[in-house]
Amino acid sequence: MLIRSFEEALSRRKDHGFQLLSSGEEAVAVGLCSILNEEDQLLTGGRSIGPSLARGVEPARVMAELLGKASGTNRGKGGRGHLADPAAGFFGAHAVVGGNISIAGGVALAKQMLGSEGIVAILFGDGAFGAGGLHETLNIAATWRLPLLFVCNNNQLSVSTPRNAALAPKNLSDIGMAFGIPSQTVDGMDVDIVRKAMGDAVDHARAGNGPVFLECISYRFSSHSTTARETRSRSELTAIRAKCPIVLYTAVLKAAGILNPDMEKELSRDVAEAVEGALAFADASEYPNASEVLTDVW
Amino acid sequence: MFFREAIMRAVREEMRGNDRIVILGQDVGAFGGSYREFDGLFEEFGAGRVRDMPVAEAAMVGVGVGAAAAGLRPLVSITYMDFMMLGFDPLINYGAKLRYKTGGQLTAPLVVKTTAGAKGQGVAHSQCIEAWLMSVPGLKVVAPSTAADAYGMLKAALREEGPVVFVDHKRLFPVAGEVPLAEEIVPFGLAKVCRSGTDLTISTHSFMTRVAMEAADLLQSEGVSAEVIDLRSLAPLDIDTIAGSVRRTNALLTLEEGQVTCGVGIEVIARVQEILAPISAARVGALPAPVSSNRVLEPACLPDAQRVVQAARKLLKR
Repeated sequence: MLIRSFEEALSRRKDHGFQLLSSGEEAVAVGLCSILNEEDQLLTGGRSIGPSLARGVEPARVMAELLGKASGTNRGKGGRGHLADPAAGFFGAHAVVGGNISIAGGVALAKQMLGSEGIVAILFGDGAFGAGGLHETLNIAATWRLPLLFVCNNNQLSVSTPRNAALAPKNLSDIGMAFGIPSQTVDGMDVDIVRKAMGDAVDHARAGNGPVFLECISYRFSSHSTTARETRSRSELTAIRAKCPIVLYTAVLKAAGILNPDMEKELSRDVAEAVEGALAFADASEYPNASEVLTDVW
Repeated sequence: MFFREAIMRAVREEMRGNDRIVILGQDVGAFGGSYREFDGLFEEFGAGRVRDMPVAEAAMVGVGVGAAAAGLRPLVSITYMDFMMLGFDPLINYGAKLRYKTGGQLTAPLVVKTTAGAKGQGVAHSQCIEAWLMSVPGLKVVAPSTAADAYGMLKAALREEGPVVFVDHKRLFPVAGEVPLAEEIVPFGLAKVCRSGTDLTISTHSFMTRVAMEAADLLQSEGVSAEVIDLRSLAPLDIDTIAGSVRRTNALLTLEEGQVTCGVGIEVIARVQEILAPISAARVGALPAPVSSNRVLEPACLPDAQRVVQAARKLLKR
């Protein structure tokens, strides 16, 4: 709910160029992050607002970063697609499609060699699936039994090209088999299913048994970016939005008697407050001083 | 000590002193490196720290950069500099920018050690593309020409806080040179005057330093006194030493094995001009063609002492 509300608030703003939203894909990020521990690290592609918030990065600092303020996670220098807060277990996003996958392999190697209990998760879209970095890193991770979770958030679009026009395998998780990596395709719109699959995968990796590959089938509600053209028809979009993971899970929790209308109202209020607070913090923050253009280059 | 042994000694000493240093690359393990420059390291440090990788340079650099960001200090060996192109994305888009883009939270202290230069191996195994890398903010680039500098600069590279590209050269590996017995670091950003002269400054680096010295001998016999300066470090570039020399000689000839277009030489000339106002200068480099393995075409493409002498005569109007 926080992710959706945060992204909606951000998309109403016009002072950030554009953003890469993940509305519709929240269950993947939340299901994954609900399983990760403090000593674990998460790396993602550029579509990183949802995953960073799900990992627990402070919303105010994420908002400040996306609006270019010096109080942001990266002092405003990374911006969209490059959020990072390693202290919070979010090693970072990298906006070159597929570019962060081998990097994650290196982070996992460091974890393994330095004797850390932690594991590494790399979250990427189906757009990165066709890139060489994935294939090379799967091979290395399997050979070295790296504690690495490959999580493919298959949102059906490689930037704007439909999945079937870009990728040959029937199930994207089939790729794991070639490397002897346990692999699975799950419904990425159901947070319980994602959490269960992630739990098994994390146990496997944490026990030193090497990498796991998970494909989560999800649906992106909006176009590639807030300024990119929407290529899907209105009826297609209506059908996709009807699969909303938040609506689905709310119904599940209500049916189980865990969530009642009062709690739901309170949650909505908390989320709205958190997003307003994040915006207020970001708006009250300064842009970096122009002299910072030359700091931290080396 | 041979150049390749100097590399081996530097890596061994640094690995003994810092257990976070790991070697990643193709044939670096029991095989000992393509030029035996890692001989004995696998035996001493084991398969954990001296890791053979699949022939996938993009992932070699990517894994290296990621491991560096997460606390290790990898030396990634890319057999030929031509293959570095496959690793440019992780090196340039990630490693070189990491400190900046994370606002100082992360940095990637890795060394990419690679071998440049032509020695009969053809169009995709011979290139010197160090000039491409000099323009990347956040990246340091060094290319020593002697065993002593290879030793001292590789040790320095393994102690740097960000990514370094260490360029050696196929024709330098079998070359022997004096290396100090005591441990010695050669800091980056200092050019070296290899030969003093009064009529002409020749600025060069890597294997071409030897060609420049040969040319300086030939010029001497014609009565031209050439000063030869080995840049050693390309980024950062020690422009003061070159400018100081040109202030005395009033003529600058740059020599490199790579292309002169947007090359190391034109950068040196431009920066010297920024200090000294217009100067008399000329560039020598490979001809604008791929470097073939053909025994006639390869030497036809590359600069040699004769070509340097001719360029010097023309520059000095002799």
